[in-house]
Order: sequence, then structure tokens, then C-alpha cells
Amino acid sequence: MVNMLQRYGWLSFIVILAIWLPTNAIAHGVDDDTRRFLEQNSGVQIIPFLYIGAKHMVTGYDHLLFLVGVLFFLYKSRDILLYVSMFTFGHSLTLLFGVLSDIQINAYLIDAIIGFSVVYKGFDNLGGFNHFFGKSPNTKLAILIFGLFHGFGLATKLKELQLADNGLISNLIAFNVGVELGQFTALATIILIINFWRKHSIFLQFATITNSLLMSAGFMLIGFQLTGYLIS
Amino acid sequence: MSQTPPKKISLAKSALFMYSVYSLVFAIAVLVIVILPAEYNIDPTGIGKKLGLTVFNDVNAKTTKKSERAAETMTIIVPAGRGVEYKFTMEQYQKLNYEWTTDGTPLYFDLHGEPTGDTSGYFESYAIATAHNMKGSFTTPFAGSHGWYWKNTTNSPITVKLTVKGEYTKHGLK
Repeated sequence: MVNMLQRYGWLSFIVILAIWLPTNAIAHGVDDDTRRFLEQNSGVQIIPFLYIGAKHMVTGYDHLLFLVGVLFFLYKSRDILLYVSMFTFGHSLTLLFGVLSDIQINAYLIDAIIGFSVVYKGFDNLGGFNHFFGKSPNTKLAILIFGLFHGFGLATKLKELQLADNGLISNLIAFNVGVELGQFTALATIILIINFWRKHSIFLQFATITNSLLMSAGFMLIGFQLTGYLIS
Repeated sequence: MSQTPPKKISLAKSALFMYSVYSLVFAIAVLVIVILPAEYNIDPTGIGKKLGLTVFNDVNAKTTKKSERAAETMTIIVPAGRGVEYKFTMEQYQKLNYEWTTDGTPLYFDLHGEPTGDTSGYFESYAIATAHNMKGSFTTPFAGSHGWYWKNTTNSPITVKLTVKGEYTKHGLK
């Protein structure tokens, strides 16, 4: 399983470099061309929605940071699968529910919560919860909850685009499958890098600083999104 | 491929506390000095401006030069049961000659302008009607985005062919 993931990882790593580097990584955003397509679209469009979903996942840096945090100390394939499934489950649930119902949560606040999830995971990896509270919160539950929030964030952004009712459900499912494909690709790449890194003795030395930086990046995301919320 | 389980990080409480504080302080510094000036033009230290990071917010001001263009034709698809807006970014007192036509199906439209920087949702309508074509010109009463809102109430998409000639900097779907 790990072997297969690694092989897939190499492949996706190259693909991501080729696709991602020339474009800008955007946190959750939908770029102008995509927006234009979505606004003009009507009817079932499986492949484009699949692609938008995957692209969203691979280029969303806040999401990638969270994945790095989650995967940092996971080395068993079974654990990786389990944790990612929890996230996927939460994510899919609120994405479908959020778009189909009329529930709207402010995108800035959702993104601030995603930033908070990065801080949480960095702090957890540093052993912070064990130290200060005697025990670590249930990671699976935490990942499920952050998955739920992430799905709501996406739903809110898709709602803003006023998707046509015609073919909405098929398009949403295609989008969601695309998100999972993108997630799998990002995941395989991150695992590849972390596994490579683990074989070197510097891993533990840099683990502390990496997770501190992860926390710091999470704080930046919170500040950035909350400021956006306050001035919008 | 076997892997030895990685050891967890074990830090003394004081070290953990320091790392947490450092990460927060570093985050605040980067936010205030770099991110907020670049993203929102909020620059409490003034360093963002010195570094040249506030330029992103000046882009609009610089590109809105007077620009008479050759006639352009664009095709806009109004999806079934939906409305789209096509706008032109123009300065005050600039003129746009236009002509648009559908395949013959009438469309409800609202030709209007929104002032630059307005967040209240204010707009001024120049013409509201239902028609399958329209020809004329307008001169902008204020700087902002000016153009059409078309609404398609039928069950099939309608293509609008729009030809314009005049002074504008940007145009596109909104």
C-alpha cells in the first residue's frame, strides 16, 4: 500500500509541479476563468466539475498545510486511510447539504476556522495538548469536525456562483469526486516527501521547527481571514 | 519496505511554551508587515509601502487611462432561466457606442452603471426594457462599471452579439 502510494506520489509530484507552478496557488478561491465557466454553465458537466474539484484541492494551500500536519506522525497506511476517510466523509456531507439547503456561512469565518485547524494540528504535533491538558483531543473526531467546516466553506463559495439548477446534483457529485481525487494526489505527494525525509536523521531535529512554522502559518491564515471578515 | 515508527516530539513545558509564543509573534509580524499591506492595503507600520507591497492596490488607479479602442465584438451566452451582467470599466464622462442583438428572442435587460468603490449596491439605470436588439450610445455620469444585465426567462440559452466602440479599460462578465 505504501509502495503503491509512493509510486503514485512520484507521478503526481511531477504532474503537480507541471500544472501548479505556473499558476498561482489560491486558497479556496475560484479563479476568473473558472468563475466565468461556472456562471455560464447549465446542465450536467461531469469532467469540468471533476477538474474544478481536484484543482481546488491541489491548489488550496491552507488545506495542504492541514494535511501536512495530519500526516506528519502517521506512518501506517491503515491510519492514513482512516484519517483521510474521516475528513472526506465530513467534507462531502456538508458540501452536498450546504449547496442543496440554503444555509450560508461567511466564507472568511470558515477560512479562519480552517486556519485554526492548522494551528491545532501543529500544536498537537508538538505535544502541546499532552503537556498542558494531560491528553490529546480525539484526532479522528477533530478531523471529522474540520472536514465538516471545510465542506461548508466550499458550499458557500459554490452558492455565490449561483449554479444552475439544471444538472446541479450530478455536477456537485462530480465536484466532490474531483475533490477526493485532488486530495488523494496531494496526499500521495506529501507522504512521499515526508517518508523520504523520515529516512534522514534530520527529521526529528526539524520536526519541532516545522510544526512551529505550521502553527505560525495557521495564525497568519486566521489573522488574514478575520481581517477580511472585518473590513468586508 | 519497513519503517521504524517516528519518535514523537518531546519538549519541556517551557520550550513548548516558547515555541508557541514564537510562532504567534512571527505570524503577527508577517501579517502586519507583509500580508495586510499587500492584501488589504492596511499598513500600520508603513514598512509594507516602503517594501513596495501596496502596489497591488494601486493597480486599478494606474490602468484607468483614457483609452479609445477600435470596435470590438463579443459574444455572450445567457443561460436558460438565468441572468448575466456584462460590464465595461469606464471613467467619468466617457462615451460608449454600442449595438447588440439576439437571435430574435427578446431579453429583459437593464443598462446601468455602478460607481467605483461603492459597496452599498447603488446603481443607476440608463434603460430598462425587453427587446431583441438595441443600438445607441451613452456617456458615463460617474467612474465605475457600466453595462448590461440580461435576463433569460426561456428554457434555452440565448446568445447576445455585442459590438462596442468607445473608451473603456476593461470589460467582461461580472
